[in-house]
Amino acid sequence: MRTQKSLALLVGIAFGFVLGWSQATEYDTIHAMHLLKDAYVFLLMGSAMVTAALGLFLLRRAKARALSGDAISFERPRPRGAHVAGAAVFGIGWALAGTCPGPAAAQIGRGELAGLFTVAGLFAGIALRGWAQARSAKPIEAPAGPCGAPSEPAHAQGVS
Amino acid sequence: MARRLRSANIAVMELFATRCPWYVAGPLIGLLIVAFYAVANRPLGVLGGYVDAEAFARAPGGGASWRVWMLGGIVVGGLLSALAAGRFAPGFACGSLDQALRGSLLAKAALLGGAGALMGYGARWAGGCTSGHGLCGNATLSPASFAATLTFLATAVAVANLLARVIA
Repeated sequence: MRTQKSLALLVGIAFGFVLGWSQATEYDTIHAMHLLKDAYVFLLMGSAMVTAALGLFLLRRAKARALSGDAISFERPRPRGAHVAGAAVFGIGWALAGTCPGPAAAQIGRGELAGLFTVAGLFAGIALRGWAQARSAKPIEAPAGPCGAPSEPAHAQGVS
Repeated sequence: MARRLRSANIAVMELFATRCPWYVAGPLIGLLIVAFYAVANRPLGVLGGYVDAEAFARAPGGGASWRVWMLGGIVVGGLLSALAAGRFAPGFACGSLDQALRGSLLAKAALLGGAGALMGYGARWAGGCTSGHGLCGNATLSPASFAATLTFLATAVAVANLLARVIA
């Protein structure tokens, strides 16, 4: 468990560094992407996806195991209304903030302190959605997805 | 010796102050995603870090999850990237958004706070954000992530272009 936390910290540090180095933390980088004036972020995200897809394919073909000893596996949920409706709300915020949850955290580290406002908003939105889900008369299940539900303990989550 | 060290230092700063080419940054992030599956067998989804941090703030008893540690790492990584570039100068500047808001800090706080709330609410609703759905979910060929990614990209492009037209 402690190893997992330290390694997660290291991966986070590397991720934050690359986000800062690629200037994905800057409002104008993301704004230019949304205005379709600069293909940079599309190319960055696209090449990250292709690399990850290839790497995961090779790992699985080699029958590699994760640190826990389990076979490497992932969920492939079918699209539901929540995925589309939630993503539409997210997209509005993304366009307005010119940043998203990962780069907003990196902004704070970089001293781009406007990120504090964005992150405060993120926490408020997350709390509000959690409250809405808990309050709903018929309990809403968190949608299947990468970050559907709080994860503690990580290994107990339904990973198919 | 000292001079050579100084010029090496300047070369490093120049390297990190120049925007990393996409064909370096993208594959690096891709490898991090693969590494994270090898470590945690989970997607490198940043939203989950916030969700867990919010839960941790309510009930600190259980300790912070690994996803919170990852989120903390991103903050540290950002700091290191600014230091490496020799550009750590804390402030509230926000590029061309400052001109659009005529430099009002209050307007910026309101806009970014509201936008952050939309992102937090929407991403939790959708079960992931740009990293969880947009990078990892697509890399694992998840149909839900394809749908979410197409939706938030299309929405963001539409909103940004609409606003640019209204303001201009």
